Amino acid sequence: MLDKVDVDRIGSTAAPAWTGFVRFLHLAPRAFLPMRSMDELTLIAGRGIEGDRYLIGREEGFYSHKPEEGRQVTLFELETLIALKRDANIELGAHEHRRNVTVEGVPLNHLVGRRFWLGETLLEATRLSIPCRHIEEITGKAIFDPLINRSGLNCKIIRGGVVRIGDSVRNA
Amino acid sequence: MAKMPITTVKTVVESVEDGGDGIKVFNLVDPDRWQLPPFRPGAHIDLHLPNRLVRTYSLCNDPAEDSRYVIAVKREAAGRGGSIALHDGIGPGDTIAVSLPRGGLPLDPVAARYIFVAGGIGITPYLSIASHLQRIGHDDFRVHFVTRGHLPFDHLLVPLIDDGRLVVHRTSESGRPDIASLLPEPQADTVIGCCGPESMISDFETATRDWPVGNLHIERFVPPPLATDPDAKPYTVQLARSGSEVMVRAGQSMLSALQEFGIEVPTSCCGGICGACKVGWLDGKPLHRDRVLSAYERERFLMVCVAGSDSPRLTLDL
Repeated sequence: MLDKVDVDRIGSTAAPAWTGFVRFLHLAPRAFLPMRSMDELTLIAGRGIEGDRYLIGREEGFYSHKPEEGRQVTLFELETLIALKRDANIELGAHEHRRNVTVEGVPLNHLVGRRFWLGETLLEATRLSIPCRHIEEITGKAIFDPLINRSGLNCKIIRGGVVRIGDSVRNA
Repeated sequence: MAKMPITTVKTVVESVEDGGDGIKVFNLVDPDRWQLPPFRPGAHIDLHLPNRLVRTYSLCNDPAEDSRYVIAVKREAAGRGGSIALHDGIGPGDTIAVSLPRGGLPLDPVAARYIFVAGGIGITPYLSIASHLQRIGHDDFRVHFVTRGHLPFDHLLVPLIDDGRLVVHRTSESGRPDIASLLPEPQADTVIGCCGPESMISDFETATRDWPVGNLHIERFVPPPLATDPDAKPYTVQLARSGSEVMVRAGQSMLSALQEFGIEVPTSCCGGICGACKVGWLDGKPLHRDRVLSAYERERFLMVCVAGSDSPRLTLDL
């Protein structure tokens, strides 16, 4: 059958042609605190971001019962912020979506299960992020529904290092 | 043991100052002096006190001061215990969990004129609002402060009195003023507000019956409004395994009722899409509202973060 999708074959051999860039970096040390814009973030392999609420071992930031290894660093598409304004007339700043890294030109939803380079660091995408009702409480904006299926990407850190604004993002 | 979800903001008491008239002023900051969640002028927060008391206090400072929550607490010896716990048990370095700020003065749009009536410790939100209005250069506001005779926060209030922004009405000298006499006729460009004892708020509401609702701002320390069906009814959740019964108040979420009862349910999105809080149901008529369960699954499961009950009793497999 010509129209049958062989997921295994595509997952193992496709080489997506994209190169993206890091546009914003943010972290917060505890739940609910405003995200602070940073020039660089230090990623620690297997643990998380130095000073961030989800750093494994720190664990001051879990809203949920599911602290997880795969949420060491989270990414969000700049294009989603543009789409929210275009489609829902919602202005959402890069400091408001509460993911750590805002990237441009990176098809995050295509990367689940793949490894890719974020500057000098190597990440492995574990799953799509899901929006959380808390974010509406924190921002006062009705963004839960518009963010379903485009709420970013959760990743493990395979190789640590320093990520800076302007760094390239590319397939590994 | 599974971690409970974090539902509060962690603060530490940086300093405690004397506000005069039996009032202590607590400065709350993040342990790392990080910015705190933002607030509107005159908003309030819940304090989760060590003895499991939860008490609500107005923020007194300018929202532009983004790394500090300032609250003022009058010691009420005959109160319900919150002010005593704070006055006698809390000092610099102590940790206090607080809620996200709620309420406060809507700022969009800014009204041409503001007139406020404050009774006693009800002056506190107007300290925040006055600081904000002065900072943005808004020079048409007035606060009528009804007090027994004492003037707390004199370093803050005296400059406002000198500027003609604050008028003190001492009940020890002339009784409580007629609230209506403090207010103008309804004006579209004027916002009026009140914070004080319930009897004063009630007088204010009577005096302002002819004002458009959008021009009134009453600061009451109530929980945030629940964005739920106004026809919501209370119901009872029966827990089949433990035999316990949990009452769910009208408009309350099943999840919050179970958590209050001490039942630990895994949660994540709290919006009915992630599936973390799926539990089985055995009897009753659930209202599902989630967006993940199929019709077949709904015959056996529900998502406690968004589900309700269409029957007075609902039995869960918990």
